[in-house]
This record gives sequence, structure tokens and C-alpha cells, in this order.
Amino acid sequence: MKDDEHAFPLNGFPVTRRAFIRIGCTTISGSLVAGMAPALAAAGVQSAQGDNYPTVDVAALATINVDMPVPFTYPDANSPAVLLRLRQPAPGGVGPNDTIVAYSALCTHKGCPVAYRPERKLLICPCHWSSFDPGKAGQMVIGQGSQALPQIVLRVNGTMVQATGITGLIYGRETNIL
Amino acid sequence: MSQVPLPPRGAQKFDTVCQFCIVGCGYHVYKWPATREGGPAPTENALGLDFRQPQPPMGTWISPNQHSVVTDRDGSRHNIVIIPDQTCRVNEGLSSVRGGGLAQTLYAPDRPTRARLATPLIDEGAGPVKASWTDAVDLSARIVKAVIDRWGADAVGMKFFDHGGGGGGFENNWAVGRFFFSGVGTRTASIHNRPAYNSEVHAAADAGIAALTNAYLDAELADTILIVGANPYETQTNYYLAHMVPNLRGSSADLRRATFPGESVEAARMIIVDPRRTMTVATAEAAAGAERVLHLQIEPGSDIALLNAIARIVLARRWYDVAFIQERVEWQTFEAYQRSTLGVDTPLDEFVAEAAQITGIPVAKLHQAAEWIAAPKAKGERRRTLLHYEKGLIWGLKNYENVAAIVDLALLTGNIGKPGTGVSRLGGHQEAYVRPPYPGGRPALNVDEAIRRGEVKCFWVGGCNPVLTTLRAEAFEGALRERGAPVRAALKATVGRPVGERVTAVVEAMKNGGMFIVVQEIYLTATAEHAHLVLPAAQWGEMNLTSINGERRLRLYPKFMDPPGEAIADWMIIARVARRLRQLYLDDRNTLWANRFLDYDWRSDEDVFIHARYQFKGDASDPMEGYSGVTYDLLRRLGNNGIQTPVRLVNGTPVGTVRLHEGGKFGTASGKARFIPAPRPWPGYAASVARQRKNHRFWVNNGRSNHIWQTSYHHRLIPFYQGRFPIPYLEMHAEDARALGIASGDLVELSNDVGTVRAMAYISDAVKRGHTFMLFGQPRGAVGDLVSDHVDPATTIPYYKGVWADIRRIAALPEIVRAVSLAPTNVAS
Repeated sequence: MKDDEHAFPLNGFPVTRRAFIRIGCTTISGSLVAGMAPALAAAGVQSAQGDNYPTVDVAALATINVDMPVPFTYPDANSPAVLLRLRQPAPGGVGPNDTIVAYSALCTHKGCPVAYRPERKLLICPCHWSSFDPGKAGQMVIGQGSQALPQIVLRVNGTMVQATGITGLIYGRETNIL
Repeated sequence: MSQVPLPPRGAQKFDTVCQFCIVGCGYHVYKWPATREGGPAPTENALGLDFRQPQPPMGTWISPNQHSVVTDRDGSRHNIVIIPDQTCRVNEGLSSVRGGGLAQTLYAPDRPTRARLATPLIDEGAGPVKASWTDAVDLSARIVKAVIDRWGADAVGMKFFDHGGGGGGFENNWAVGRFFFSGVGTRTASIHNRPAYNSEVHAAADAGIAALTNAYLDAELADTILIVGANPYETQTNYYLAHMVPNLRGSSADLRRATFPGESVEAARMIIVDPRRTMTVATAEAAAGAERVLHLQIEPGSDIALLNAIARIVLARRWYDVAFIQERVEWQTFEAYQRSTLGVDTPLDEFVAEAAQITGIPVAKLHQAAEWIAAPKAKGERRRTLLHYEKGLIWGLKNYENVAAIVDLALLTGNIGKPGTGVSRLGGHQEAYVRPPYPGGRPALNVDEAIRRGEVKCFWVGGCNPVLTTLRAEAFEGALRERGAPVRAALKATVGRPVGERVTAVVEAMKNGGMFIVVQEIYLTATAEHAHLVLPAAQWGEMNLTSINGERRLRLYPKFMDPPGEAIADWMIIARVARRLRQLYLDDRNTLWANRFLDYDWRSDEDVFIHARYQFKGDASDPMEGYSGVTYDLLRRLGNNGIQTPVRLVNGTPVGTVRLHEGGKFGTASGKARFIPAPRPWPGYAASVARQRKNHRFWVNNGRSNHIWQTSYHHRLIPFYQGRFPIPYLEMHAEDARALGIASGDLVELSNDVGTVRAMAYISDAVKRGHTFMLFGQPRGAVGDLVSDHVDPATTIPYYKGVWADIRRIAALPEIVRAVSLAPTNVAS
């Protein structure tokens, strides 16, 4: 049994191949998630500290509807972004049931503008067809981007949804605030 | 990270080529001290770009995953940035998802790649213990010698990379091949992903055709591109995006008109033979329009019936290239091919109807495919068709006849040796064919079987992980464990004793079925965990290496950082062992054997490269290699565009070869190509496969994907990739999943007569009902645990794609579902 286990130090947490096959389901999801936590943190929502981000009104809560993307720019006029209301709660979501999210609209591959496809619930780039899941912290579903789509940090201030920061680096920049 | 450092002016800059897939995209590496940073003004950074403004689309940008900080052996820390090369003709500035994260694969003591092996390790019964190179080399050389002397060379088994790119290259392949084939002389050899030392395209070689015949440019010039059993959007990404897609979009029409003056130029078409509706199908439709893409969603294993039916229609419609066949093909093989393979004694309609029934493809689509491949163009000109194939065909029902069927179709339609044509593998990894010939015959010996039978006394594995990738993988691992145990006990019983005494004890263990296992690796892989001796190797970027890509483009991948700890290049490990073996044989006064290990005194990577250049002859049927007059200096000057092999000296100047067989010469005794007859219409499943198929409900197709390179040896450590697929996925049709109570993201178990494995269900319309698709060779779920031990008897190539299993739901994985996207991976709009 001992020889049979292949410890793969995965982000500091050992997960074994055969053990994964054999142990019960509670342990499986427990150990996998423990192993994944740092990976998810690194891939998804990160602290936006250190940059001096502006606070910008994006849209009034009452005007934001499911599958009706709201284009805006953030943190400056040269940085297209898109705000979405999803049907399910999402990481980084704000507003009703944490369903409102926003992302940079520039693909992390070559900087083409991504478009929201309601029937797919995906942000898809027309240049090389990379797609990003707005319900999963901008994770690249398939494609050639080099990171998740940068997520705009939102907050609700009274009746207004505001952008207050960004996780990840926007395409074409060495720093988000130029 | 919301910021990346810019390389300052004066940063070191290297041209290099990606370590991953066959396409071999060009990249630029910048290296500079960790304490410095360039400024945003164009005069302040090495890119010469103004980062006070955002860069435009298609511009140059450094993503956070394209930066790392490394530590060289002298303790100095450096920033490294690796970005795609805009001037490389292969990728034209594009990165793939894999190449876009090259910087994350570099060794760094404070990053996940700290898992790299840094010293030799000996397992003496209580886990791996650090050893010196002198002791490790001495022990391994003594073991190899003892095995040869007592049991003969074939008792030394090996499984090695045998490829280009990372963990390979001309240098490492030459050293390994020379050591095991010319030195040890073993026939018990095998290539990284299969149980034997064999070509995956013996049929092409027998036809006189090389594996990689065309230039990537030909995809921009073709009228029709045929893709059989491959998914280039995901796994040959920038060949597809930079060369095929522009043609499908019509943007290479001017180039086609200029290249073929007066010839009709129609919008290009693509035919994709794949049981799945892949991202390649979706994106080809987006690029060309759905009416110009023909997706033939065949039933498993029916490729021969499909390709022969297309060929039969071509023959019947008189669309074949009679002039080409008369001039360039042995005519009598054409006659035999018509009778035995194309069934000319059977009426056309009957032949095609039978194929339609076997393949599941309607008769009309078979005719349409034939038309797109071979019907004359508007002014009666021959259509230029580029035929590509990969593992769907190679690892299909019958390796030999599968490959024969596509090669025959190319010969029949004259699609080889002309611009816009070719018949080539699409490829997986890069190539580096240089090594002396394999001393065994055909079919090659099955190493897995030899290990199970106890015939292998020392098993040396390098740069591959058969515990995850081989067929009947769990039984293979069981054999490593069982045969390794007595040797481990012998080592434990002799800890601290003189090496001679220890080797004697190991030999005694071998007499009782023991096997000494050496693994030469960059990480402690699932296979390395069974090793008695682990030897740490350098990787891409830590040594100079050379390789060719899918159009035979030879380039230098320079060293730009130090390997971790005491790790050294694979060729250097082999050279040290060879020198020690020579000395041991000299001490024995056995000059005959001592001389088999002569000339391993290379002082540099280039010494090995040049040595191979003079010694390597290739073979007549595989005229892709040879690089006369090529030096590192020349390759440095040629940069990321390199030179296409074979390279010949013309008036003292090295001249490359854009495409093969242009002069009409083929790799046969007659110099003419040969049709290779395949059985008609279809040979059916081997008994063990048929049994599995009868007893288990789902076909488990398997292969690679966009995000993950091979066994995920790097990507399992890097958050961007690992976070996408923390568990290997299993694509299932929605109705099949519903019937089994499975939701997307559930943990499921697959089981059959060979074994069991688990995966995460991913509901997808890519697969038909009754079909599934699983990621191949993954550390948390090896589909090899389900693969039967059937191999094509003609070639010893497994039918890896021929797996059937039952599936049951195990549990929900709510935390994974919360973080991992289960959105479709085959949509383009």
C-alpha cells in the first residue's frame, strides 16, 4: 500500500494518485479542496492592494439586468470593461445574491475585445476564440490567453454599483494604473 | 499580480523555441538582475516600446505568467521574461496557452517548481537518500555491467524520451541512443509513450514517405486540408491559428494566387475526421463558414473503412492522379491496391454503403469528402489537398493499416511533394531523430511484457512516466513494485558495505526475479517513486539543445539559466555512465566491451551535436534528417526561423529543404513510392478489444487538451493550469449522464476488465451518446489503467483509443464546481 501511493506535493498539500482512486468521497473532496485553495486564490481573486485605483460609478443597481452586458471603461478611458448580471452567485459578485460581476474586456492573449454571449454565458474573443467564464472569476475555459480575464472589484454604494480595483493585469499594460 | 517588471535596456536577450508541442513557436527570453527594472518610456526598456500607453491588440505585452525570478548556482537572482517572437515565421507573434506560461516552468527555489530533483538519490529501503554523482554513476555502471555479463544485453531494458523539445533534443537523443544501441546493444528498448522501440508510421516509411513532409506554408496554399484524428486548435495550436485559419478565412488568397499564377483559387475547405465535435471543428466553421467544413464524426476504429471508401470514390470518378502514379509510384503496387484495398470487384455503391454502415457516416458525406479532396477545380486543375493525421489514426484500431490508408489516399491523389499538398503527421512533441539504428527487428519487442516475464534485470527510464501513460498501467506499476522489492531489500541489507558487495547482493536478488530501476528525470514522478536510483536531469533553458518542429525546422534552444542543485544534462549523465563502464571493462581486460563505450568525452552540448552530425545517417525510408554543415553558430545567426532539414551542403553552404519528395524521389529501393495494401473493407476489433466493447457500455476515447502538456509534469504545479483541471475530466453526453444520475462536475468512476480510474464528469455535446472522452496520462487519473494489452501485431503500437468501460457516479464535488468552469469547450461564438 505504501509503495502504491504517489505523493504529489501540490501547492504544499500532498494528494496521492491511488489514494484519490480508493478513499471515500468525503475525504476526496476535502483533500482536493485543501490542495486547491492556494491555486484558486492565485488563479482567481487576488488583492488589488498597492495600486491607487479610482472609485467609479458603473451603473445603477436597478438598471442591471440578467444577460444585458453593460460596457464601461476602468480604470481609465483606454481600458474597456464589461459588467454582467449572472443567474447564479459568482466569485467576486456583488448586489442581489452576489450575481453582478465585471471584467476587463481585453483578451489576455492578444488584446482583442471579448464579447458576452448570453446563450453560452461566456465572454468570447473573436480573434482566436479564447473564452472566459464570468461565473468562475474569469477563468479561461479554452483558448490561448495567458491568464484569467482580469476581474474588476465591485462594491454597491447605495443604489450604485461602483468599480474600485482590479485583480490581474490588463492586456497591453505593465501596470494597471498608467 | 497587477504589475510586471519591464526588461531594462541591456537585459540579456535570447532567441529560443517553446519546449512543448510539435509546432515549436519562437519566443524571446529576457534576463536581467532581480534588483533592476526597466522604465515605461521606449528608451528605458529593452523592448523599445512605450508602456506609458496601453499596447495595441496583436502587440507585444508581458503577462504575469510570462515572468519569473530565478536563482543561478552562484546565488545571483534574475528576472526572466519569456514572450512570443513577432518575427518567427512559425507563430508570427502568437503564443499558445502552454507557451504563454513558459516562464512558470522555470526552476525557482521559492516557487512550486522547487519540486525539481537536485541531487542523485538512492533508495536503500527507507526512502530516497542523497548520493554523490560519483557513487550514483559507479553503482549504475556496475549494475549494467553485471546484468550484461550474466544475462546479456537484452536484460538491460530502457524507456526514453526519444523526442525533441523539452527533455529531449538532438544532443540527448544521440547520447542515449548511442549508449543503449551501439554500446549496450539492447533490443529491450521503448519510446516514452509506448511499450516498444518502433516508428508510429512504419506504413508511411514502407511507402517511401517521411513522417513530416510539408512546410507549414502549405496550409496557407492548400485548397483542402484533411485532418484525421487530431485537434489542432488545442494541440498544434499555432500551426492551426497562424497557417490554417488564415487560409480558411480567405486571407491567404493573394498568396495562393501569386504562388500559382493562372490557377483557380477557391475559398479553402477543411475536412475533419473526429468522433468528437472539437474546438477545431467549431473554430474552422467560424473561420471558413460551416458550408466549407465537413466534420465526419466516425464510429471508433473505423478509419480504414472511411479512407478506403473515399479512395474508392476517387478511383471510380477518375479523380486520381494518373500521371503522378505513373511517374512516381511502383505501378504494380497500384494494381494490388485497387484489388485488395479498394475492392474493385465489388460495385461502388455496395462498397460505399458498407463503409457508411461501419463508419456511421452517410453515403453522401463520403462522396462529398472525395469531391473536396480530389475533384478537379474550375479550370480542370488538380486540387491541392494537404493530408494530416495524428493519434486518432496512429493509436487507432490497427496502427499499420490506419496509416497505410491515409498515405495511399495521398499517393492516389498525387498530394505529395508539391506546394499546398503533403501527407504528414500533425505531431505531438517536437522531434530529434538522431540516434543509431535500433538493434531489434520488426515488430519490436514489447518491453512491458519483458518486464512482467522477469526478463529485464535493469530498467532505465528517462524523461517519461510509463506508470501514467502505458497500457494496462496498474499491472505495469505492480510489476515495478514486485520486481523492485527484492532489489530494495538487497540494497537495505548492504547499506554501508563496499559497492562490489552491494552489486553482488543485487545480482542475487535479480536471480529471484528482482529488477534494478534507474530513473533519469526532472521531477520525482510516479515512475521515479519506484526507482532505486534517481538521476537529476537539466531541462529546457538549462542546457543548449536543438530540435526540429513539424515542418523539420531546426533551431537552437540556448541555455539561459542554471539547472537546480547538481542536476546535469541527460547526455552528460549518459556520458559519465559510459565512461565508467569503459573503465570497468578495461579493469576486466575486456577490450571488446570496453571499446563499445569509447568516445564519450564530449565537453559541450555542441560537441554532441557535431558528433551526431557526422555519425548519424538516418535511414533511406525516412529522409527527414541530416544537417550537414550546421553549427551552433549558424543556428544562432538564423535565430527562431532556423533551417529546415534535411540540410545539404551546396558549394560549401548549408541549404535547407522546404518540403520533402519535391524531386519525386521516395525512400524505397526503387526510389518510387509504393501503395501499401490494407485489408478491406475493415479488419474489425481484436478479440480482447471486442470482448471489452461487448461487456462495457461506454467508449472511452482519450487524448490531450489545450491547457495541459502531456502528463502535466509541469502544469500540475502551476496554478493557472492546475486550477483549470484539478482532476482529469471525462466528457459525457447529457443524456448518458442523466440516465446515470450524473451531473456536470460530479466525481465518477470508470471500470472495466482491466481496472478502474476516476474522473470529473464534464457534460458536453462534443461527444455522441455512448461515447466519452478522457484526458490521457494524468497524475490523478491515468486512463492507461483501463487500456487492454492488445497491440497491433505488425508494429507493437497499442490501441490506446480502444477502451470501453462502465461508469458510475461517486460523489458531488461542490468546491470544485464552485471554482472550475464547466462551460462548453467547443464553441467559437
